[in-house]
Amino acid sequence: MNVSQRGAGVRFALFTLAGLALFPFIFHAIDGYAGLATQIVIVSIASIGFNFLLGYTGLLSYGHAMFYGGGGYVAALLLIRLMPQHPNLWLAVIGATLAATILALLVGALAVRLYGIYFALLTLAFAQMIYFVVEQAQDWTNGDDGLQSIPAALLPIGPYSIDLGTALPPLALGPFGNLSDIKLWYIVSALALCGVMIGMRALTRSQFGEVLTAIRENEERSSLIGFNAAAYRLAAFAISGALTGFAGALRALYDGSVAVESVGIERSGSLVIYTIVGGVQTLLGPVLGTGLIMYLEAVLSAHISYWRLVEGVIFVAVIIFLPAGIVGTIAKRFSGRAKDRALLAKSVSTGSSK
Amino acid sequence: MTAILETKGLGKSFGRFAANADIDFSVAQGELRAVIGPNGAGKTTFFNMLSGTTDVTSGAIFFKGCDITRLSGTRRVHLGIAKAFQTANIYPEQTVLQNCRLAALAHTQGAFALEVFRRSDRLTDVDALAERAIEQLELSGVAGVRSGDLAHGDKKRLDIAIALATKPEILLLDEPVAGMSRDEARKTEALIRKLASSMTVLIIEHDMDLIMGISDSITVLESGSVLANGTPAEIRANGRVQDAYLGGHSEAEIES
Amino acid sequence: MVALSQALLNGLVLGLIYVAIAVGLTIVFGTLRLVNFAHGAFYAIGAYIGLVVAQNWGLGAAFIAAPIGVAIFAIILDRVLLRPFYGKDVTSQILVTFGIALIVEETLRLIFGATTQQYPALQGLATSVAIGPLVYPLYRLLFAAGVIAMLVLVWLFMERTDYGLIVRAGVRDRTMVQLLGGNIRQASTIVFAVGAAIAGLVGAAASPIYSIAPGTGFAFLVPSFVVVVVGGLGSFWGAVLGGLLIGELQSLTTLAFAPAANVIIYLCMALVLLLRPQGLLGESEVIRQ
Repeated sequence: MNVSQRGAGVRFALFTLAGLALFPFIFHAIDGYAGLATQIVIVSIASIGFNFLLGYTGLLSYGHAMFYGGGGYVAALLLIRLMPQHPNLWLAVIGATLAATILALLVGALAVRLYGIYFALLTLAFAQMIYFVVEQAQDWTNGDDGLQSIPAALLPIGPYSIDLGTALPPLALGPFGNLSDIKLWYIVSALALCGVMIGMRALTRSQFGEVLTAIRENEERSSLIGFNAAAYRLAAFAISGALTGFAGALRALYDGSVAVESVGIERSGSLVIYTIVGGVQTLLGPVLGTGLIMYLEAVLSAHISYWRLVEGVIFVAVIIFLPAGIVGTIAKRFSGRAKDRALLAKSVSTGSSK
Repeated sequence: MTAILETKGLGKSFGRFAANADIDFSVAQGELRAVIGPNGAGKTTFFNMLSGTTDVTSGAIFFKGCDITRLSGTRRVHLGIAKAFQTANIYPEQTVLQNCRLAALAHTQGAFALEVFRRSDRLTDVDALAERAIEQLELSGVAGVRSGDLAHGDKKRLDIAIALATKPEILLLDEPVAGMSRDEARKTEALIRKLASSMTVLIIEHDMDLIMGISDSITVLESGSVLANGTPAEIRANGRVQDAYLGGHSEAEIES
Repeated sequence: MVALSQALLNGLVLGLIYVAIAVGLTIVFGTLRLVNFAHGAFYAIGAYIGLVVAQNWGLGAAFIAAPIGVAIFAIILDRVLLRPFYGKDVTSQILVTFGIALIVEETLRLIFGATTQQYPALQGLATSVAIGPLVYPLYRLLFAAGVIAMLVLVWLFMERTDYGLIVRAGVRDRTMVQLLGGNIRQASTIVFAVGAAIAGLVGAAASPIYSIAPGTGFAFLVPSFVVVVVGGLGSFWGAVLGGLLIGELQSLTTLAFAPAANVIIYLCMALVLLLRPQGLLGESEVIRQ
């Protein structure tokens, strides 16, 4: 990496950190609450994972909830069954992520050789299978009632075991609420999201990401210059599943419960909606989309019963009028303007040299 | 001379339609072989079987003596068989240089590499390979141009450059000068002849002057099977070829 | 033995519903190259129109109003929203039709509420018929007969009429049909509307058997995709075969081991996609890479 590239990377990291640090307070000012902020941050990780598959690999998976909910259930089960006395956050989350990765490799091995619609249907099929298995395996998953009262996980750092439910010390911040609104959960989740965003940025710019983009742009040519498209797709699917499972695990542990809906078709659909509205093929798009829609859901559901209808209308409107999503459309405007400015500058300078 | 690429009884059927039947083919290392024939003779299908794009219905293909009939197209590229398409198949959003770098990258890193941490711009051998291919096809002037914006002829040459950047031993060119102006075709013809000095080249072409001018030997296909094999002079004099192509008149008659 | 016969008949009824929905899906895909995730919405709209009309004007009127209402909706949808998406990449199609399905489902929920509705009393048809030792609801038998008759009509339409010919040719080679002057645009709209109407009619007719809820559309859509995959995307008889197969499979599994009933159909789809991706009767188009 040359200096300017590294500079851009550092700027991105700082920008992300700053944004995440300010987020809950600005959120409070617009009538959100800290709990929702944490949930948004966690689900954003899942959306980024989903976007990696759709935006950068070009594969639409209609069953990503199997990773999200699957991760949640595995994390919950690990805590309930294996470590009820010493609930360890690391182990639960890592175990869940590992399980999601293995599931992704298994499903992916079967699915990645199939074209567009068949891929979407196969992922849907597996997700539905898992949904019904989860619903029926009462002994393990408690069926429709879900797993409640998951033991609050503790994060062991060195000799300390930190309860993430602890709030920060109180400090009044005027219209931005109070510092004690923020629990340690938010800090951990925000750091995780920051790490994921930095990692995703690096990944898309890496050699692996470059080949993935090439395969997405022209698969036939990519195969015939020697790239194994199926292998790349499988790897991308595994990464995507891992990220989504990681998010699902965090969410289950944060909520303290996991429900069968988390592996359901609506959850899969939500991830699709968040990502498309925010902007596929952008880094910030999935995050923005998640925040926007989840916030709307929270606000609207308190006042009207048909908020999902509004969500659907927004979704269809974005597909038709803003196919690049909100962030994507803004990015195009800016890069278009930058090009115009460059052209203008060039013509001005040649004009003045006369 | 040893045959670098051979087929025995090669055939391809789509349902009951036999696009290719019972082709015995052999080309030696370093040869420039033209494959010609009237439309519908099965030339592109034959090439597609050689490159791995199309499955083989019957027969076998041998590369340097090894049976590659069941190998995927991707594997064959790494063995050294590269193809340029009939309709230029490129990455339109990327620059000419990036197009070739991708091919060079595939050659260098292999079919799959989980290089999630490294950026590829530090790989100097990839750059060198890509730049060499661009030079050989005289595209250095447009190296930084978005390839979708190129003129048709440049796109065709880019397609060849991409294939070249995989460092092939055999280059399969499917109508490399189709749609080019006469001058461009001449220029490209000269470039191809230079390429042929360091590798084996197979060309499908309709341009008779081009073929007669640069080929070491010619294979004529008709209705999916081999009609004749020989040097340009032998083929020109072959009565059956004249019938198939020119309806019974010799080339000399037509020209006069 | 009685339980088995009952399960087989139930499977037939369920299977015929799947067939009806799948036929519309598969024909639309074959001709318009449109993957329509909103097809279940046609079923649901038909069911609700049927409910409203039946409550006020009786069952007969419902069976007329439902398909017509749904066909109108489908034509509007086609003209206003879906035209630009025909032939576009599959992902965009899935997304926009999914969005439409979502909107429809939520609108139905808004209008009719989220609870499941029961059909008004069937009056004379609510009796059961004795077939040997088995006692089976008359309505279900009539329903099955009705759907079969409808499918015969659809088959005749496809095989014997000019529109059907254009449609079948269009499945093979769309461009050629256009070049030959066939009005594929008009034929396509008609096919789309017919496919929707079938789903709507079945939605209305099946509601006395399976109750109605806003989510019914999607609940029947997903298994219908399974049917289409198993039978073969684009094949009429594939949809028939697949639908009956899946319906019976689901019904028999419910009898044998109820918890597996839903899982098994997805297992079936996964197996087909892996072993014979073009489906039982589908054409071997490019599905694998």
